[in-house]
Amino acid sequence: MKKVISVVIMLVVLLTASACGQKEGSDKLIIYSNSLTDGRGEWVEEKAKEAGFNVTTVQVGGGDLANRLIAEKNNPVADIVFGLNTMGFETLKKGNILAKHVPVWADNIEEGMNDNDGYYHSLVKQAILLIYSQDLYSEETGPQDWPDLWENPDFHGKYFLFPSLSGGTTRAVISGILVRYLDENGELGVSDEGWEAIKQLYDNGYIAKDGEEFYALLAGGKTPMGQMWSSGLAAREEQYGVKSYYAKPKIGVPYVVEQIGIVEGSSNLEESKRFLDWFGSAEIQGQWADKFYSLPANKEALSSAPEYIRSIDESLSVQEIDWGFVGDHIDQWAEKIELEIMK
Amino acid sequence: MKNMIAKYNKTNILQYFFLIGITWLLFAFLIFPNLNLIVETFTKDGNFTTSAIDRLIKSDRAMRSLRNSFILAVTLSITVNVLGTFIVLISDYFKIKGSKILKIGYSSTLVYGGIALASGYLFVYGDSGVITKILISLFPNLSPHWFEGYGAVTFVMTFALTSYHIIFLSDALKNIDYQTIEAAKSMGASTWSILAKVVLPVLRPNYFAITILIILTGLGATSAPLMIGGESFQTINPMIIRFSKSIASRDIATVLSLVLGLATILILFISKKIESRYNYMSVSKVKTLLIKQKIENPVLNLLIHIIAYFIFAIYIMPILLIFIYSFTDGYTIATGNINIESFTLENYTSLLLQPSSYKPYLTSITYSALAAFIVGSLILVLARYIRSGKSRYRNIIDYALMTPWLLPSTLIAMGLIVTYDTKRLLLFGQVLTGTTIMLLVGYIIIKIPFTLRMTNAALYNVDHSLEEAAQSMGANKFYIFRKIVFPVIRPFILAIFVLNFNSLLADYDLSVLLYHPLYEPLGIVIKNNAESQINPNAQALVLVYSVILMVISTISLVSVYSKQKKVI
Repeated sequence: MKKVISVVIMLVVLLTASACGQKEGSDKLIIYSNSLTDGRGEWVEEKAKEAGFNVTTVQVGGGDLANRLIAEKNNPVADIVFGLNTMGFETLKKGNILAKHVPVWADNIEEGMNDNDGYYHSLVKQAILLIYSQDLYSEETGPQDWPDLWENPDFHGKYFLFPSLSGGTTRAVISGILVRYLDENGELGVSDEGWEAIKQLYDNGYIAKDGEEFYALLAGGKTPMGQMWSSGLAAREEQYGVKSYYAKPKIGVPYVVEQIGIVEGSSNLEESKRFLDWFGSAEIQGQWADKFYSLPANKEALSSAPEYIRSIDESLSVQEIDWGFVGDHIDQWAEKIELEIMK
Repeated sequence: MKNMIAKYNKTNILQYFFLIGITWLLFAFLIFPNLNLIVETFTKDGNFTTSAIDRLIKSDRAMRSLRNSFILAVTLSITVNVLGTFIVLISDYFKIKGSKILKIGYSSTLVYGGIALASGYLFVYGDSGVITKILISLFPNLSPHWFEGYGAVTFVMTFALTSYHIIFLSDALKNIDYQTIEAAKSMGASTWSILAKVVLPVLRPNYFAITILIILTGLGATSAPLMIGGESFQTINPMIIRFSKSIASRDIATVLSLVLGLATILILFISKKIESRYNYMSVSKVKTLLIKQKIENPVLNLLIHIIAYFIFAIYIMPILLIFIYSFTDGYTIATGNINIESFTLENYTSLLLQPSSYKPYLTSITYSALAAFIVGSLILVLARYIRSGKSRYRNIIDYALMTPWLLPSTLIAMGLIVTYDTKRLLLFGQVLTGTTIMLLVGYIIIKIPFTLRMTNAALYNVDHSLEEAAQSMGANKFYIFRKIVFPVIRPFILAIFVLNFNSLLADYDLSVLLYHPLYEPLGIVIKNNAESQINPNAQALVLVYSVILMVISTISLVSVYSKQKKVI
């Protein structure tokens, strides 16, 4: 018993000691992001060190990142947040989580992506794709747009749907379908026809179980089609040894934009601004794009992106989506789908 | 005389301080944050709204999931008790050949649970599982998805939940006065009527405590239905967890948890009523060690041996396969096609040889040990106080301590956050969010109800007449506790400590909202690894983590139990 107590006392000392050893007036920056997996976090820390920053990165899943920042509002830990898409950053902006700063590279971003009020600015854009396996379909026989999935009985049961609607990609897909049926008088701003379309989507697809991986099922042929974000494509094709086509709908595909901003109450505001100016620059974003197959929002960095990812971008048109409207409704849409439409 | 008054006043003042302290703790950490969250979720723009209920009633899926949770809880309260009783009797009551090894197998669920356990069972019975492959070669018409739905979930969870029996029933069984069994025997009672009329009735308080836990775990089932339930058998807790993370849908999560919470209160209320009807006296004053009973009928004996080993195989296969697959790559894990070339040490070296990899272990072990110790000591004091007399206030404390069972851990975390993300007088102006203390507070809170119920069950084993005798001889309260009460309940208290410690080690749902970003606990690191986008072996790494967690859990179990043997 005495031993147990002495161990506990030791642990208490350890915990309080480490709690005190936090940043105090140093120039250390803490960065939250949902986009630090697969070596990205280490890459950022290393590059930042070379550029004279003292940076710690913290990976937090997309669904939890906004919640965490809102929770820490009155005692912020992070100085900088990046990786959430425009919808996520709109939530942060409305919650007064962000500090204003217009980085030096703001004018190099494609029009309409940055926040007009200067709270967040764009790093990377992702095309949200409908992909299908080259083993089983040609570009003629595969689905050309999302409605094909439920309108063509050959595709029934053949496409993969995620069991939860919390993921950013899933939400972009749903939005891309629902915005085709906007109706002021409809339920949650969508016409009955639109809700019928979503119902058809879920009724005729394969809803995955927790733990099932889309690409494993795509490669195995069980569900040879489903959603994918553009910069995740290359790594997966290599990993699973399977090639896919992607649909090129006339209406265009949804593009989501990953943003960056400074956390209000950051204890190192000047250093944070300096980091933003550096991290979003054409040079760093170009290297990032080259290394992680992303599509930079910075026009000057675009030429550094791998040929493969640029060709995807060039072959697609951008679907027109009012992300402000979507941001106001997506939580309710997701809730309705989970409660009333999914089985 | 003067002296006596002074002494009386002194204890009185101490008691006052104690009560004020307790009231503050309960209010500041259990009542207020949760109440605050509930009020906040049901107020929109300053008005009270119940639209969540309307939205829910429209949902077939939610109603079906809710019903499934209740069906599962009721089923499990029967199946787990049957299986649990069986394995405890096999390991500690009957003379069975190899019972020591059998018990190790039966205890395997003590060291893993949740996602790891469900994936272990899928390695055996899933689409490409070992048993599935054998069955399909025998019956080619069998669907590879045969292991899905209500039956499959019940099966997996029945085996998963017997850990309570192994820990709490085994110890209680060993404490039975063997002389009562001898006496019954000498009167000509058969093995079975002794079991039914002498042994099991004595264990009733333990069965109560265990059954409550089973029902609650059944109501809160998450991983098994998600991974094995399929479309036909989804339960409500996954939906609660998802909705509690979305600000727009949090009210739905709260309503659903309150439904489960009300059911919990009802169950507790009924069980307390039944509990108070019996007067227990279970433990021998002069200990005669239990002697294992031989099953006389040879046919029955053989049959029971066969069943015991068959069940052993069911327990051991999933954990064995997790261990084996942790040495293979993602492809092997997905397909189940295993051969000599599949094996690699890379998973382990890549996880264990990183210089930074030890930190999450240290973080989680520190937090879990501290939380388990604090909650254990605090509840021991409170449980003694609650049982030291009868008063309305004691009852209120008892029920207040149960509040963490009314809400899932995600919502408890949210309650702490929305309450203590700003300066409040209640905490003397301290902001809790963004500090390292926050997670510790959360861990302690979610372990309170379990610890209280089990501590209560343990205290039933203390003989009041011994305490009274000591008191009449002038021993003070602390002395009585140290010399008489604690030695009896010590094995239970240590068991509770280990169970709490092990279950917190890889917690995700609560940790993700409360952890300090510079001190990532294991659950977070595991999840981040599992969600790696391009690492083909992400799944293998998760298995490696599961194995490492099993090793830590086993060490903590063995260290506690080996010590105990020395004492006895």
